[in-house]
Formats: sequence, C-alpha cells, structure tokens
Amino acid sequence: MTPKYAALKAALLGSALTISTVGHAQEIKIGFNGDLSASPSAQSGQAGVLGIQAAIEDINAAGGVLGRKLALVVRDDLSQPPKSIQNMSDLIDNEKVVAVLGPTNSGNALAWKHIPNQKKNPSIGCIGSATDITKPMGSSTENYMYRVSMVDRAQVAGLIAYAKNNASTKNVGYLVETTGYGQGGLKDLQELGDAKGLKPVAIEKFGVNDTDMTSQLNKMKAAGVDTVLVWAQGTPIGQLVRSMEKINYFPVTLTSWSSDNASFFDTAGKTLAEKPIFMRTITEDRTPKQQQLYDRLAPKMASKSAFSFAAHCYDATMITAAAIKQAGGTEGPKMREALENLQAPVEGIMKTYSKPFSATEHEALTASDYRWTHWKDGKLVSYSDDVVKALKPSDFTQ
Amino acid sequence: MLDAYLQTLLSGLAVGGVYALIALGFSITFTTTKTLNFAQGEFISFGAFIGVTVLLLVSGLAGTATAVPSEAAAAWRYPAAVIAAGAVAGVMGILIFVLAVRPFAGKGGMNWVMSTLGFGVILQSIGLAIWGPAPVMVPSPLGDDVLRVAGAGVRPQELLVLACAILIMIALDLVMRRTRIGKAMMAVAHSPQTASLMGINVNLVMIGAFALSSGLAGVAGVLIAPIASASLFMGMGFALKAFSGAIIGGLNNPRGCIYGGFILGVLESGVGLWQAQWREIVVFGLIILVLAFRPAGLFGQAAVDKV
Repeated sequence: MTPKYAALKAALLGSALTISTVGHAQEIKIGFNGDLSASPSAQSGQAGVLGIQAAIEDINAAGGVLGRKLALVVRDDLSQPPKSIQNMSDLIDNEKVVAVLGPTNSGNALAWKHIPNQKKNPSIGCIGSATDITKPMGSSTENYMYRVSMVDRAQVAGLIAYAKNNASTKNVGYLVETTGYGQGGLKDLQELGDAKGLKPVAIEKFGVNDTDMTSQLNKMKAAGVDTVLVWAQGTPIGQLVRSMEKINYFPVTLTSWSSDNASFFDTAGKTLAEKPIFMRTITEDRTPKQQQLYDRLAPKMASKSAFSFAAHCYDATMITAAAIKQAGGTEGPKMREALENLQAPVEGIMKTYSKPFSATEHEALTASDYRWTHWKDGKLVSYSDDVVKALKPSDFTQ
Repeated sequence: MLDAYLQTLLSGLAVGGVYALIALGFSITFTTTKTLNFAQGEFISFGAFIGVTVLLLVSGLAGTATAVPSEAAAAWRYPAAVIAAGAVAGVMGILIFVLAVRPFAGKGGMNWVMSTLGFGVILQSIGLAIWGPAPVMVPSPLGDDVLRVAGAGVRPQELLVLACAILIMIALDLVMRRTRIGKAMMAVAHSPQTASLMGINVNLVMIGAFALSSGLAGVAGVLIAPIASASLFMGMGFALKAFSGAIIGGLNNPRGCIYGGFILGVLESGVGLWQAQWREIVVFGLIILVLAFRPAGLFGQAAVDKV
C-alpha cells in the first residue's frame, strides 16, 4: 500500500505543479478543491482527481474546447473548512479557474457555497452528497452550485420506499451516528418518513468511533424492530453489523451508501458485509464505458470502491466542457445559462446526459440513476428482490 | 432483558480494558515527571501501523490498501508485532522526552503541553506520509468468531485486551512496589531533588518513564487495531477517553487509572442502554463531579504539600 499511495500522491502533486506553473495563456483552467490526504475520505478525492484528469486528456486529445486546451489546478483542503474556503478564493481569484469541481467533504462545500454564488463561478460537485449543497441561497438569487453525484435525500427516499413497500416490515427503527453526516441523515429520514407515513418505533445514535453498539441494538430488539434504516459512515456501519452478530439479532438493514467503502467491508468481514442493502451509482456490473474507464484508472486507484467518484468527476468535467462550448466563452453567467439549458446531449460514463440541469434542477443524477447494491463474495453487485422489483419511480418522490 | 444487561457489562469491560491500558500510560509519566504526554493518542495510532508493517514484513504477505490478510497474524507473528510496536514507540518516547519535555519539565508554565501536542501533530503527519489516511483492518490472532458467555457475545480480541490490561497492571504494580527501579521511580515522583541526593539518576528514571509509557501506547495500538481497525485518527478518541478514565480513577495512582478506565467503559455501555446520545454528557458530568468532590480522583491520594 505504501509505495502505491506514494506514487499516486507524487503523480497528483506532479501534475498539479506542472499544470499550474506551465500554464499557457490560452488554456482554460478548471479547479479541484477537496481532501486528498488528511481524512479517510481522501481516497474519494484522489479518485475524483484521476477522473477529471482522464476527462481532460480525452477532451484535449480531441482538440480541446473552443480551440483551447483544458488544464486542471488541484488544491488539497486537508478536509478543513477554513483551508477549503481559502482554496476557493485562491482558485477563482488567483488561478482564474472557470469552474471548481469537488469537494470531498460535504461540510466544506456548505462552508463555501456562498463564494461561487458571489463570484458567479460555477461549482460542480462530484463527491459530497449532502442534500443542501445544491440548494439555492435565496429564492430569487442565481444558484451556481451543481452536482453529478448521489444526493442524500434521494437515497433516504429510496430506503423509505423500500421499508414502506416491504410486506414483512412491521416495525422500523432509525440508527444514526452523532456526526453532522448522521444528524443530517436523521433529519431527512424523519421528514420523508413522516411524509410517507412511516413511523419509527425506536431512534438510536452511536459515535463514529464506537466499537460496540450492542446497547443500542438491544433496545431496538426490545422494541420489536425488524427493519433498521442506518445513516452513518463506512467503519461504524461495519462495527454495527459486528455488534448485531454479538447479540445474534439481524433485522433487515438498509443503509446509507457508505457501506460501499472498503473500510466498511474490511471492518465487517466478508460474511457480515453481505447484510446491508444500499443504493449507489455504480455496481461491479459495469457498462462497457464504465469498464473502459475502470481499466484505465485501476492501476492508479488506491481504493477500487472509490471508482464511482472518478466516474462522477469525469462526467462533471465533460458537462463543464459542453457548457463552455455552448456559451462560446468562460464568463460565469453565460456558463450558468448554458449549464441550465444544454442543447447537445453529453456522452458520459454514468449515462448520456440530455439537459442534465435546469434553473430548478441542479442534480445531474437522480434516484432513477441509482442502483440497489449489496456485497456478495467480496464484490459490490446489484441487489434485487421482490420489493425492489415492485418499486415504481413514483415511490421515490421526495 | 438479563441478556442485555450482561451484554452491556461485557461490552463495557471490553472497551474499558482499552481505556485502562492507555490510562496507565498517562499515570506513569505523571507519577514520575509531573508531566503528561499529550501525544499519547498519536503514539497509539503510530504503534498500530508499526504493528501492521511488522505483520506484513514477517509474514511476507502483501496486504491490500485497507486490510491485512488473516494469516499474517498467525502464531508468533502477532506477539512479534506487539513487541516491535512497543519497542519502536518506546524509542519515540525517549525522543519526545528529550526534545519536547525535558527542556520544560520542572519549570513553571505549561510549555510541555504545547510541545507534546505538537510532537503528536508531527507524528501524525509523518504517519500520513508513510501509510496514508485509509483505515487498515488488522486480523486478530485468535480469530474473529463470537464467543458466547451466558447469551452475551464477545470477540476473542476483546478478551485478549482485557487480559493484557489486567496482566500489565499487575506486573507494573509489582515492579513499582517490589523492585528498586519502582522505588526509584516513586522517589523521583515524590521529589526529584531528594532522589538525586540519594544517588538516583533522576534523568534516567524520567527517560525510562516516558519510554515505558509510550511503549505501552504502542502495544495498545496493536492490541486495539483488530477491534477498531488501525487508523492514524483512531488514537485521539481513545486517548481522550483514557485520560478521562485516569482523571476519574486518580492520575497519581496506576491502579486507580485502571479502575477508572473500566468504570468509564461500563458507564458508557450502560448509558447506551438508556440514551446513547447522552453518553458524553454523563461521562464528562461525572468527571466534573469527581474533580469537584475528590480532586485527586476516586482512588487517588490527596497530595499534602508540606511547607
């Protein structure tokens, strides 16, 4: 792991340096601002940068945009909000990037979302999934925050639809971690649950570093819970299923997409990892286009399960390029107009995007692009059962 | 419901064993030098990764980015990793004493707080450069199957940590009370000047205390890794809880620190059975209460300063 990681880091740093110092006047610069080194989610950021670099290679090989080459400027925010805010200003004001991709941590996007809006510089998120990132700052203001990734609220809608339509579900319980991520998920769970008439009989919380959740699970068991909806990061969900084994209590377990992390799989172990059902954008049943990009990036990717972020960020770059082309320039307001009314379809890794954004819709991927997923024999594969088959798009409404 | 209570007790003791082991480390430096190593958390994380590296080296197996294969911990390899991590962390402990504590120890002010914290940040950054940010799952040498005790489940590694905490506590207790080294340590703790006049090499004793305390943190890292998975961010949380345990039990009493660690573990687990989100409030509320009514901790002896 050590040399591979070091090599990757060197490659990332090297490319960032050459690109930012060589910088031709004619180049169109795109920024990446996200955690590349400091927290466990840094692997997602690293995969995202690989995806952007691949997309830029492809675009430049085909002659660039408006006859100009694209270039990437990378800034590591070390997962710290103040650093991330500083990076944003640096990228937009000093580096003059035309759009910023990233960040890795949702909280950082929420910390600086006023900056792209004030400076009229589009930001296309391709990793963080917090619902509020793309929400407009005010009802009348123009919104420069877009996303090509999963959205927490849409996932929550999916989990609730599953629980609601599962005939054998009698009592549901919500289990969340005490971080901002977990609490945001709990808010979504409660709001959407209320709207759909799903009443939890128990709500329990656990710490992100906890290694034993048997107390919380025993309470769930005592309350007769047969289906748990879990919102937490990968490692604590791994500890949760391990605790389930300790007290031999295995309710139907529907979780946030963090169960796709290698850290979840390694913590839970091969057998227990197969318990949770969750949604994500890519399973190992890849489409030919996805397989092609995967083969291209796999040697450089430290964590294979982070591939989805490479694909999202690849597509975000393609959509940005298409917007520049249609706008005929890189002025923010013109790019925003183009983004919200893209005429030509954009060939992406996830799908072909026809009009991905509008004035009100800032999510390029929605519930119908998600796949039900679970671990099987150490692989992330599509999951299906009678409940999943019977789900209709209308069940996912938020 | 009896099952649930037994499970709570067992789970609490398992987590408490981890706290106790680290709390002991805090106690050792405090009783000899009246300083604390606030980089203890980073020593735990660092130790865990030394363990990971040794496991992979001696087994000759390749690990993935996020896991060590289970065969790598078989037979003598895991104990070897524990000893290696303890030794490396011990050497780092000497380093932290010489570089970050000795210049400030015994003088007024709290410079050593900042310098040990800073040493921890440096250690973590070095760790990130070498091993990267991802958590790495470490296999338990005793396997991963749940053991059942009257309906309650526990993993073998949790029992191992529990046993190690108790064994180390007893061993240390004997050393402190029965050997010349232990007596020298207690003498230095009481008064470095007097100890020095009695022919005790105070400097050496203090170095030894830091090496021992840091070595314990390294050992704890490898022992916890199969439970919490090794991560460069894992140490901080455990160290904070362990320090709380040490405060509850009494920083100047190694036995008290162990009890404090266990009390904290069981308390956390018990509060979880009631309202898990109130856990931190209960724990730190208890610390404030203890500090208010028994400033030296539940098992500590109040120091009497004779003027």
